[in-house]
Amino acid sequence: MLATLALASLLRHRTRTVLAILGVAVSAAMLLDMVMLSSGMRESFRGLLLSQGFQLRLSPRGTLPFDTEATIRGADSLLAVLRARPTVAVASPVLGGQLHFPSRGATVTASALGVEPAVQGDYELVAGRQPTAANEIVANDATLRAIGHSLGDTVHAAAGYDPQLRTYSGERTLRIVGRVRFIYLALDQRAVALPIGTLRAMGGPASADRISLAMVKLRPGADVERERAALHALLPRVTVTSTAQALEQVDQRLSYFRQLAVILGSVSLIVGFLLVTTLVTVSVNERIGEIAVMRAIGVHRWRIVGQILLESSALMVIAAPLGLALGLVTARWLDSILARFPGLPERIDFFLFQPRAAWTALGLLVISGILAGVYPSWRSASLPIAVTLRQEAVG
Amino acid sequence: MRVNHRFVCLLLLAVAVRGAPAQQTPRSIARGVPQDAPRSITIDSRLAADASLHVGDRVVVAAGTGEPGDTVVIAAITQRRADPAEIARGEYRVRLHLGQLQSLLGYGDRVDRFAIATPSAGATADAVARINASAFGFQAHRSADVAVETSKTFAVVSRFHRAIGTITIVASAIFLLCIMLLKVDERRRDVAALRLIGCTERTIVGSVVLEAAAIAVLGSLFGVVVGGTASFLVNRHYQAVYRTPLRFSIVTGDIVLLAVALALVLGIVAGWLAARRLVRTPPLALFGR
Repeated sequence: MLATLALASLLRHRTRTVLAILGVAVSAAMLLDMVMLSSGMRESFRGLLLSQGFQLRLSPRGTLPFDTEATIRGADSLLAVLRARPTVAVASPVLGGQLHFPSRGATVTASALGVEPAVQGDYELVAGRQPTAANEIVANDATLRAIGHSLGDTVHAAAGYDPQLRTYSGERTLRIVGRVRFIYLALDQRAVALPIGTLRAMGGPASADRISLAMVKLRPGADVERERAALHALLPRVTVTSTAQALEQVDQRLSYFRQLAVILGSVSLIVGFLLVTTLVTVSVNERIGEIAVMRAIGVHRWRIVGQILLESSALMVIAAPLGLALGLVTARWLDSILARFPGLPERIDFFLFQPRAAWTALGLLVISGILAGVYPSWRSASLPIAVTLRQEAVG
Repeated sequence: MRVNHRFVCLLLLAVAVRGAPAQQTPRSIARGVPQDAPRSITIDSRLAADASLHVGDRVVVAAGTGEPGDTVVIAAITQRRADPAEIARGEYRVRLHLGQLQSLLGYGDRVDRFAIATPSAGATADAVARINASAFGFQAHRSADVAVETSKTFAVVSRFHRAIGTITIVASAIFLLCIMLLKVDERRRDVAALRLIGCTERTIVGSVVLEAAAIAVLGSLFGVVVGGTASFLVNRHYQAVYRTPLRFSIVTGDIVLLAVALALVLGIVAGWLAARRLVRTPPLALFGR
């Protein structure tokens, strides 16, 4: 009975109801997008950091990994200390630099990572194999395209320039043995990886016994924060960053998007709420005589309140699936825009769909739908029956 | 990977003599160009506030933790420029004499970049071409090209804002159409009476459209006030959060004009659609008979 009356009321003005559903759907879409934006970026980045299982990152004191060109001296002794700790399962050193590839009269420059291939966590092998020998290198598609070589080819590379002598420094002939995808780099960023010893040798004395970063994988059951504190105290020249701390840094740098998500999500919810409140209020005003008659023939005021609340909630609930679908489409569109951020890792999604996000958006919509019906239902329930009937009869 | 951030590598190790006069002899210069008096540096206001440093203080600067450094005097505290590229990076900025920084970093006779002033755009193009023709290991870029490259992040944010704006406009259009339908529906009896006493459809549609336009203009003007207030609050908040004079939100005359014009067009279209729907209904049906 209650549902039938509410449905009849909504169907009485179809255009109005359809427009209201559309309006709420757009608000719901925006709400879902903003819920996805507020949490998705963080979760996406967490997934990226933990994808290779490394929980700690050691960088030069006062810096974040690869935020500067600073390097850590005494890398071999540092790695020995790390590997001697019972809680450390894997310690992976990384030295960052650049390699220059003379190609067709020009020079192609690519980021270079010196790694220990057996324990590296910076790239995934797409084809070929790891660079085990000193003269072997792996490269991503962007580099291979730029230098015009493919797997199995031999390339000439240099670590630097000597502009005064007009010669390259740290020259080597290297064989491309693998095609890889770098996890923390942008898709279009040219990059190569090679054994750390080779990159150090190419860099000369300035690179000897240095690393830019060490990634640490702990044994199962080890307390990450306790180990971070212990390493921080033990190694005064490095900053030890856990995944949680890295996420805090990301939160700080991208706080703009989180705050934007909160503001726009709230505005969407308010717009949806106002739309439904207005519609239901007008609808109640139009049916004021009808409601007074129902009260006069004995329908309890709580049934009237229930019907109106059901009406407002129904608008929200009907619009929600449409809004969620629209939200997923717009999220893909917005994500494709933000994915063009220079240097953004390929795997980072600003709008990450999680069932929790959808449930949160749906829950907020239903709550605002119920709240939207409170004022009109309270107004209709408190009508003086006789006066209203008389006014309606007189006109 | 980031490059050209050698300034960041430079760590302020310790405040050697807090508040000491600038003329005082430095305690030690372990590395760098020997000098009689400490050289001067400038630091930004953010670093000055966080480390409680003042003009005239002596500090030791070094390339890394535990490495030997130079004692220098803080000669000035600078206000950071309103550079959007720097706001999210909580870096401190220290400026040293070039030779001293090269010495501290063991950088030799090298620099990361040169800036060259040219008398005209034509001279710039000529200089770039000539430098690149003879360059080995470096490349010349026009400042305008560098600006385009470094502002890519903001171009993306701008596109994102436009996309959000488009969604907002769609939602506003539907909202406005809904409200106009309701407003016009409330006038069913009035419109029926007007039709019965001989008012033409055109007059009725015109009056509704005029009312819709007035509501749209008044609403958008109110929106401009709300937007201006929000913009002020946003600037106050983010300028405090990021400690920058950068203005994050600006309400310009063009933006106000666009908002009012958009609202006016949406209002007129919504009013026209709602009025057309009403005048096509027979007057007696509008009376409910």
